[in-house]
Amino acid sequence: MNSVRARLLAWLLGGVLFVGAVGGWFVYRNALVEADLFFDYHLRQTALLLSDQPVEYLSPEIPQTNADYDFVVQVWTLDGVRVYLSRPHAVLPAITTLGFSTATTSEGRWRMFGVQAPTKVIQVAQPMRVRERQAVELALRTLTPFVLLMPMLVIFIWFAVGHALEPVRRLTSLVQSRKVTALDPLPAENLPGEVQPLVGALNDLLGRLGAALERERGFLADAAHELRTPLTALYLQMGTLARATNEAERADAMEKLSEGVQRAIRLVEQLLSLARQEPRADMVRKRLRFDDLAREVVAEMVPLADARKIDLGISASQPAYVLGDPDALRTLIRNLVDNAVRYTPVGGTVDVAVQDADAPGTSHGAILRVIDTGPGIPPDERKRVFDRFYRPPGTTPPGSGLGMAIVKTIADAHGATVVLDSDPTTHGLAVTVSFPLS
Amino acid sequence: MRLLLVEDDAMIGEALRTGLRRDGFVVDWVRDGDAADQVLRTEPFDLVLLDLGLPRKDGLQLLKSLRARNEMLPVLIITARDAVSDRVQGLDAGADDYLVKPFDLDELAARIRALLRRKSGRTVPEVEHLGVTLDPAAHRVTKDGREVTLSPKEFALLHLLMERPGNILSRTQIEERLYGWGEEVESNAVEVHIHGLRRKLGSDFIVNVRGVGYRVRPA
Repeated sequence: MNSVRARLLAWLLGGVLFVGAVGGWFVYRNALVEADLFFDYHLRQTALLLSDQPVEYLSPEIPQTNADYDFVVQVWTLDGVRVYLSRPHAVLPAITTLGFSTATTSEGRWRMFGVQAPTKVIQVAQPMRVRERQAVELALRTLTPFVLLMPMLVIFIWFAVGHALEPVRRLTSLVQSRKVTALDPLPAENLPGEVQPLVGALNDLLGRLGAALERERGFLADAAHELRTPLTALYLQMGTLARATNEAERADAMEKLSEGVQRAIRLVEQLLSLARQEPRADMVRKRLRFDDLAREVVAEMVPLADARKIDLGISASQPAYVLGDPDALRTLIRNLVDNAVRYTPVGGTVDVAVQDADAPGTSHGAILRVIDTGPGIPPDERKRVFDRFYRPPGTTPPGSGLGMAIVKTIADAHGATVVLDSDPTTHGLAVTVSFPLS
Repeated sequence: MRLLLVEDDAMIGEALRTGLRRDGFVVDWVRDGDAADQVLRTEPFDLVLLDLGLPRKDGLQLLKSLRARNEMLPVLIITARDAVSDRVQGLDAGADDYLVKPFDLDELAARIRALLRRKSGRTVPEVEHLGVTLDPAAHRVTKDGREVTLSPKEFALLHLLMERPGNILSRTQIEERLYGWGEEVESNAVEVHIHGLRRKLGSDFIVNVRGVGYRVRPA
């Protein structure tokens, strides 16, 4: 019963039947009142007619104007002896009241009219069921056309609903026959007003889906393109390995080849990391001690910093809470610290600070700062480093170009802002990530 | 033969330089468009290997300004841009060949040799002069059918001199095209190599034009 057509059919037919039944009842009631008036008049006329005639003239079967009227006549003398009964009805009341009265006997209800003549009392009676039968007949006659027309009504409703739903059916087949790749909006013209909002919502979804798909496609193309560079390096490094003529050259080529492989691995890992951070519905949201996370990541990065003779440490730390995904936030901190360590010249310093700005009167939650003593990023490059695969010119060593894009994606998912600036004392890069109030 | 490699990626640049040097080329390497533009105006090269996605000045721009100066230098584009429209654009901008990354080092070396050969107006890969044959691809030199063993620098010098027989090359010109940046050049290095070649190919094969330079003996 989930089809609009079946529902409409059920409701409309139910309504028609209900209205018909109520109408029939009213017709019946009216017919009953009419029949009462009509038959009462006849009862009275018959009684008055008989009262003028001597009993002796009454034939055993009085001619009846209408056999259906089923009149019964009784005549009594004034002292109460019944001298005439047109038809034996055992159950008729023996005594009558003058004028109209109604009595209930074992044969049903009777309507009676009594009249007193100079020498006798005359009573004319009639079973009420005669009137009821008349009323029912009238009501049925009125309803019959309705009932006979019902199948036609069913057919009419069936086709009318079908016609009204035609645009919906067309829309359905249009959507069904669509290719997966067709994301252009559905035509909204010639559609009933009730369906328009649905089509509007669908088109909106298609639009967003298309944009997401376009982004994915762009990312895939970019990623494949970016993979070419490390793969080219690997291919060429294999070539130089093959050309090596002595052990020293071979060892050197092997080392270069290994660096190339590591670089390719790192790019793939960063690609995966970015793919994992793409917005999704089931992101974990936990209340976390952000300063603890920062300490964890810094500890994990110390070996890399040591290898580059960089002084990595936490310069300030306050208990600060952030609502978010611990793995994603670790990735954010790791990327920032990794960048700082990689692009700070040997012997430099990288400071990580976590502040709790959750105090009254501030509009931010936890704040993370990563400050290095590297060359910094020129102001006009600062916006572009968030683009995927963008590397500021002359960057050595070449990174994946994805680190800051990953940072931005994670920050966005947590409602945080990332600001790049030049640190006033070190003149290196200062990255500030501000989280919203938790 | 001295090549200018213009490539911003450190690993690719280094691998190319190492690999091509082993093939006997002199390779100088710059990492951005501006630097390439500068050295191309001041130093002689036989061929340019040009990456397109360069910092500071795009490869295509560099190529166009090079051709605008009416510079005939062969240019081989090496790039990750593989669309047909990119190749067309590159060749139309004046490139002589177009190689898409990733590519094989041997193929690159072969294409470089082909371009150099075309530049010198030859159709066969081998250079032949007065019974001396030089095969640039195989690094083989024969005299009257017998193989002669040369050092890499001797080979490069002989190749330079035989490229255009009769053409006189000064000591400075030879030095510039025989040594890349950062290579130690002894003051008498050219004389040492000339001496080696004369010893192996006959003392009259290379003649000295006093006060001008060297050339192979005209036929």
